Formats: sequence, C-alpha cells, structure tokens
Amino acid sequence: MQIRGRSAMALIAPAALLFTAFVLYPLVRGIQLSFTDAIGPNGGAFVGLTHYVHAVSDPTVRRALTNTLAYTVVVVVVQNALALLVAFWLFRQERVRDVVRAGLLLPAMMAFVAVGYLWSYVYSPLGGPLNVVMDALGLHRFEPVWLGDPHTALWAIAAIYVWMFLGYTATIYLANYMAISPSLLEAANLDGASGWRRFRHIDWHLLAPSFTINITLSVIGSLRVFDLPFIMTQGAPEDSTQTLSLVIYNNSFANYQFAYGTTLAVGLLVLTVVVGVIQATLLRRREADLA
Amino acid sequence: MTTLTAPATQQQTSTAPRRTVRRTRRRLGNGVASVLLVLFAALVLTPIYVLVVVSLHHGQSAPDNPFAFPTAPDWQNYRTAFVNMHYLRSVGNTLLITLATAALTVLTASLAAWAIVRHTRRWTRTVYQVFVSGLTIPIFVVLTPLYEVMQKLHLLDSYGGIVLAYAATTTPFAVFFFAGFLRTVPAELEEAAAVDGAGLLRTFAQIVFPLLKPATATLAIFVVMQVWNDLILPLVLLSSDSKQTVTLAVYATIGTHTLSPEQLLPTLVLGVLPLFAVFLSLQRYVVAGIAVGVGK
Repeated sequence: MQIRGRSAMALIAPAALLFTAFVLYPLVRGIQLSFTDAIGPNGGAFVGLTHYVHAVSDPTVRRALTNTLAYTVVVVVVQNALALLVAFWLFRQERVRDVVRAGLLLPAMMAFVAVGYLWSYVYSPLGGPLNVVMDALGLHRFEPVWLGDPHTALWAIAAIYVWMFLGYTATIYLANYMAISPSLLEAANLDGASGWRRFRHIDWHLLAPSFTINITLSVIGSLRVFDLPFIMTQGAPEDSTQTLSLVIYNNSFANYQFAYGTTLAVGLLVLTVVVGVIQATLLRRREADLA
Repeated sequence: MTTLTAPATQQQTSTAPRRTVRRTRRRLGNGVASVLLVLFAALVLTPIYVLVVVSLHHGQSAPDNPFAFPTAPDWQNYRTAFVNMHYLRSVGNTLLITLATAALTVLTASLAAWAIVRHTRRWTRTVYQVFVSGLTIPIFVVLTPLYEVMQKLHLLDSYGGIVLAYAATTTPFAVFFFAGFLRTVPAELEEAAAVDGAGLLRTFAQIVFPLLKPATATLAIFVVMQVWNDLILPLVLLSSDSKQTVTLAVYATIGTHTLSPEQLLPTLVLGVLPLFAVFLSLQRYVVAGIAVGVGK
C-alpha cells in the first residue's frame, strides 16, 4: 500500500516525538550543559572548555578510561572465542542442544543486581564458595581477596560478564550455524576437512553475519559497563574498577555535578562513535574480503 | 545392524566391519561429547545452584559447605525477604511498567516502521537512519539531561515518566526490528484493503498489525527482559518506596543492611524468579529474539 506523505508524517509522529523528547533532546542538552557550570538542575553560566580541560587531567577519569578500554578488549575477545567454541560444540550435539542452550542462557536472564550480590558472595573471602572449592583443590596459596586486590578486581568482574553473556553470544553463533545450508557443510565433510582446519577455512567464513552482530553487541555493552562495578566495588580498590559510566553516574547523581557528569558523558559518546566507526569499517571490509 | 547378518560377497566382508567400527567410534565420541557438554553447562550453572542451596539454609553465619543441601530447608529467611522487599507490590509495579512500556513501544514503533517501509522517500530514509543511530547511544550519555527533562515535565517519581523513558530508549530497536520484518511482507494485502475502501488506520489495525504478531511477540519479550533487569532508570527516576520495581527492591533491601548469605540469597532468588519463569515458558521466543538478524 502506498502511504501518502502527510499520512506518513502522522504515522511517524508519535515515535518521533517520544524519541526526540527523551533521547535526542537530552543528547543535545547534555552537550550544551557540558559547557556550563550547572550543579544539580540549577545554574548554568557558560564556562567554555573548563570541564573538558579538567577531565583530561583528572586521574580518576584517566583510570576509568584505561580500565574501560582494557576491560572491553578482554571481554570481547574472551566472550566471543568461548562462545564460538560452545556454539560449534552445540551445533554438533543435537540431542542435548536445546537443554544445554537453555541452561547457558539462564545467567543472562538474571538482573545485574542479583548477579552482583550473588558473585560478591561467591568471591567472598569469608567462606565464599570459590575459595571453598580452591581449598578443596589444594590451591589455598593462590587465593587473593578477589574483589579487594587491585590486580584482580577488574578481571573478577570481567569474568562475571563473560559468565552472564556466554550463552547469549553462543545462541547467536548457533543460530547462524543452523541457518547455513546443510549441503555446504556436507560438501566440507566430503572434502575431508575436519577439526580446526574445517573451522578455519569454512565455518569461519560462513559465520561472518553473526560475528558482526556479536562483536558489535559486546563492544557496545562493554564500553558502557556500569552495573557490576556499581553494585560490587564502587570503583574500589584504588580505582581499579572505576569505569566511565560509573564516573558519570557518581559525578551527576552522587555529587550533583551535572555539568561535569555530562562532560564525561559526551566523552563516552565520542568514544562509542569512534570505536563504532572503526569497527564497522573493519567488519565490513572483512565481510567483503570473505564474500 | 545389517552388517552383523552374514555378508554375501567378498567385498562386503572386507569393508563392512571397518565401517561399523568407525561408526561405533563416532557414536561413542558423540556420546562423550554430549556428556561433556552437559557437564560444562552444569559448571556454568553452579553459582545459581549455590544461590538456591544456600538460600535454604538457616543461621547467622555462612554454611561450611555451600554445595550441600540443608537437612531441613528453612523458609524463615524467605518470609523475611518477602516482607522486606514488599514483594507483591514490587512485582506489581514492574509488571505495570513493563506492560505499559511494551504497549507504547509496539504501537508507536510499528506505525512508524509501516510508514517508513511503505512511503520510501529520502526523508523517511533519513528518519529511519536517525532512529537506528539511537541504537548505539549509551543510556549514560542522556541520563543527566533526561533527569532534568523529567523534572521540568513533573514526571519524576511517576509511572508515566519511567514508561516514557523506557519506551523512548527502546524505540530505535523496535523501529529497526519492525521495519526489517515489514520489508519481508508484500504490500498486496494492504492494497486490496485500500481498494475495498478501508482507511489508513483500519488497514493497519485489521491487516498490518495481525501480520506483525510474531515480531510483536519477540519484541515484547525483549522489552520484558530489558525493563525487568534494569536498575539505572528506576534508581534515577523513581524515589518513593511505593513505586519500587523488583530490581530496585533487591538493591534497596540489600544495600541498606549487612546481611548474612542466608538472609541475602532469598532476596535474590525472589528477585530473579519471575523472569526465570517467563524465560522457561517462552524460551522459543526468547531464543528467536536473541537470534534476530541471523537468518531464520
């Protein structure tokens, strides 16, 4: 059915209004706020680039930035590598596939709040289950205070994210596997390709669409990591679990430094866009190479 | 089995047993792989197992063995958690917010997507791109000004405010999703209805919306998962206890007390239980929703 121009406008209007009022306007307003001295919802005299200059030399912000980037790289790589392996495994084990997939998806159905408190208990130095297991395995010497040691805290949290979303990522890879025409995979089998070689030369190429989706999703999700550090560590110890989103939240809503908070938010937006563009270019080039 | 009955020719006797051996070995290998896979899933689920087991313990200190079932499960901690979380009220609040968000998002986004797909001009393409670019905006980028907007509209600490915020932040995905779905639906049915004299909204209600049903189901589940697990928007936009969502109730209950594991974990179990129930009963749609965009 051809919809006329004026009707089209009327149909789009409600969604556009909603999106403009509560996403686009706040986005623009945030950029504007970052050039003022607003504290809480009050004030707002123009102060130019003061906050940006301050942000660049703020040690907590620098630490948050390096933490966020390191965390993103590790989570994206580990999560996707493991998920690919699991999906490959699930694809071949048809009998247990549905049950195992449901089990692996369960952690992703839990609220971050619940996951955060549960793992605080798991990692607890006072009778926490993880240390109970390590004691039983005779690994007592290798038990740090997982969330209290600046060398391990961020990675202890990263491990939880991987735990949560492994099944989610694997489900996307598996859906891709199952969409591949069986004759293609059969041909690969007849050619005698197997194991790592088959994966490297055949599956890897056919999985390009899900690879693009998963990398995009995990990068976007990791760059804005907030909930677990917020619930479990509040950035401690020694700022080792400080992330950009956490710093934004604490400046805006714990200290009511709205202007500084939005300045950092603009920084996060720029980072997200830059990483997004680089990633889209690389992934598109890769898909074109493979095609 | 056929290979076990007497082989007729020389040729078969030489190849058949070898093939059987290979097939048996492969079947055995598959069996082992299946068992390993199940064990791996069990390992992944161990923290959730521990959550349930320890939540049933009674006492003021952590049990020595967090993996052992208690001899007699103790429900007192559940009763306390249930009361402290104002459980029924929190579940009711979350349900209300979720349903209203899903309804608003589905309605506005499907109308917009329909117009974008069936009225292909340069401006509709631009509108589509603006919506889709919203997919990458982290909520933290708009959080502070959003608070200000809600304050100006007197929507802080109201169901309406948080529903509008959720609907707005879900709109990009919803438009993207519905538009993708509508592109695969031929326009003939709608044209036939138009020829019969049906107006725009009637055509939408009677022809288009019913066609969208599978997409709507998947999207609704997406909204449920998003809203049910989110902490940040309720934390910033809702302040009175009577409007608390489940996640906020978990956070508020635990955040203000020092709890032993036996007191802490029942709160978490109650917090995740509703969504686990939704997931286990609607698994097919959840999996379909996750795999959106990767073929069929």
